[in-house]
Amino acid sequence: MQTVDAFAAQRVETKVIKRRVRPSLLYVPALIFLCLFFLAPLMENVLRSVAPAHEGGAISLRFYTKLISDPYYLRVIANTLKVSFVTTAICAVVGYPVAYFLVRRAGRFGPVLLFLLVAPLLTSIIMRTFGWRILLARHGMVNETLQALHLIDRPLNVLNSAGSVYMGLVHVMVPFMVLSITPVLQGVDRRLEESARILGAGAVRTFLNVTLPLSIEGIVTGCILVFMLTNGSFVTMLLLGGGQVVTLPVLIFQQFSLTQDIGFAAAMGNLLLFIVLVCLFVQQRFASGRGARP
Amino acid sequence: MIALLRRAGVARMPLSLYNLLFFTFLVAPIIVVVAASFTAGNAITVPYHGVSLRWYRRLIEYRPFIDSLMTSVYLALSSAFVAILLAVPAAIALGRSRSAVAAALTTFLLAPVAIPALVIGFSLLYFLSSLGIGVSFVALLIAHTVISVPYVMRTVLAVYRNVGINFEEAAAVLGANRWQRFYFVTLPLISPGVFAGALFAVLISLDNLPVSYFFGTANVTTLPVVMLSYLQNQLDPAIASISTVQMLIAIGLLLVVERTYGLRALNA
Repeated sequence: MQTVDAFAAQRVETKVIKRRVRPSLLYVPALIFLCLFFLAPLMENVLRSVAPAHEGGAISLRFYTKLISDPYYLRVIANTLKVSFVTTAICAVVGYPVAYFLVRRAGRFGPVLLFLLVAPLLTSIIMRTFGWRILLARHGMVNETLQALHLIDRPLNVLNSAGSVYMGLVHVMVPFMVLSITPVLQGVDRRLEESARILGAGAVRTFLNVTLPLSIEGIVTGCILVFMLTNGSFVTMLLLGGGQVVTLPVLIFQQFSLTQDIGFAAAMGNLLLFIVLVCLFVQQRFASGRGARP
Repeated sequence: MIALLRRAGVARMPLSLYNLLFFTFLVAPIIVVVAASFTAGNAITVPYHGVSLRWYRRLIEYRPFIDSLMTSVYLALSSAFVAILLAVPAAIALGRSRSAVAAALTTFLLAPVAIPALVIGFSLLYFLSSLGIGVSFVALLIAHTVISVPYVMRTVLAVYRNVGINFEEAAAVLGANRWQRFYFVTLPLISPGVFAGALFAVLISLDNLPVSYFFGTANVTTLPVVMLSYLQNQLDPAIASISTVQMLIAIGLLLVVERTYGLRALNA
């Protein structure tokens, strides 16, 4: 009797295992959908960017040549990378102490602060940008306050400049940085810091030699995320830059709405895509490099 | 000892102060917009001289705001629904597999989130019009679903992997078939992930400008597109009040999900 039961149980088990191993095809609808409406359009976009100059001609790289030979476009490309890089660096410097505070010091305020950190994500980017316009306006609150405190004589012209664009970008991006660093910082073994302190390291030295290196992974994740997101953003530049800050997405947006030069806009989109793919590749390399470490 | 404690306290002051400043910086623009929406005057500023609801009345009078808000909400909910239909089965099919193919497929299905939305919108516009689907609600629905799939996929994957296989195995041993196991065991277990992912998808869709921008027509367009063109043409506090309404909708949705499943699922 017992052997029969055991036999039956074993049969059920192999059945279960078989079911688990048998490849399920439930992913097919999603795969087809994204191949059709995500991959195919991007491929078509690549073809469009190398379209022959005239009917029946060979593929042409004229849009790309235009992009990398015209000093104006080269400046735009350099500017795109610069804006993303500077925003990322500011976010890392501004965000790290916040992540540290959230993990180590916030205590019972933790959940409230976490909510405040995520709250901006519930508002539209137009709302946040608009808020900065109100605050930074010539007769806005920042200027009035600074004047009332006699810190400045005349109102500052901060709006419609690179400065206000960075302000807006950091405001939008810094939550992503903080949210990338906190889980890693949470995982840092406090005993390692205690050991360093016992062995005679000061607070600063402990932080620089123990805590910071152990949480570097979160910083890198956050940096790649912020860099990619900034590369693709244009609403902030459009509403706070006043034409002072021109990046690739802004140019694509303008090409589409003003000049309708579709092939050229496609080429710029592909360049942007290429930058993102490089970022993803670096991220992948970083992730696998970390996995190899003991 | 007391001196030591005091020193520690003093050392902590700058960090707390810094964080106070940081969180002020974070919420200031939002609070200012909410305040400006109640102004009685024409200038876009914090209401120094009286509070009124006149800019909310303006919302009702200005048709494009209401029409596009309805479109946006309807679009966000329907694209999240389609994304659930596509992403949940995919996450279940791929979540437990360790093969390289499954890993590659998962990466691909999560990819749209990493690609600049502007590029997706731009390419999709020309692709769809060559298929004969011009700018319309259907085109918007397809575009927003492409963006939404990764969000649902990611949260469902995280929850499904966390759940472990024991419950499903137990159900199988007890004789439940494939559908019974899915409906009575897997689905209730992963539903927090489904709802959290759908919430993300809805929030992203409501705020999406780069994709929606390409698909707007005179009749069918989304709220962010209308807000952008309103901002470029005229400047009055109506923008502040429509922003506040949109924020309240988002908070309302968040509260519904929070009440139902708790926000832990959002950490996925």
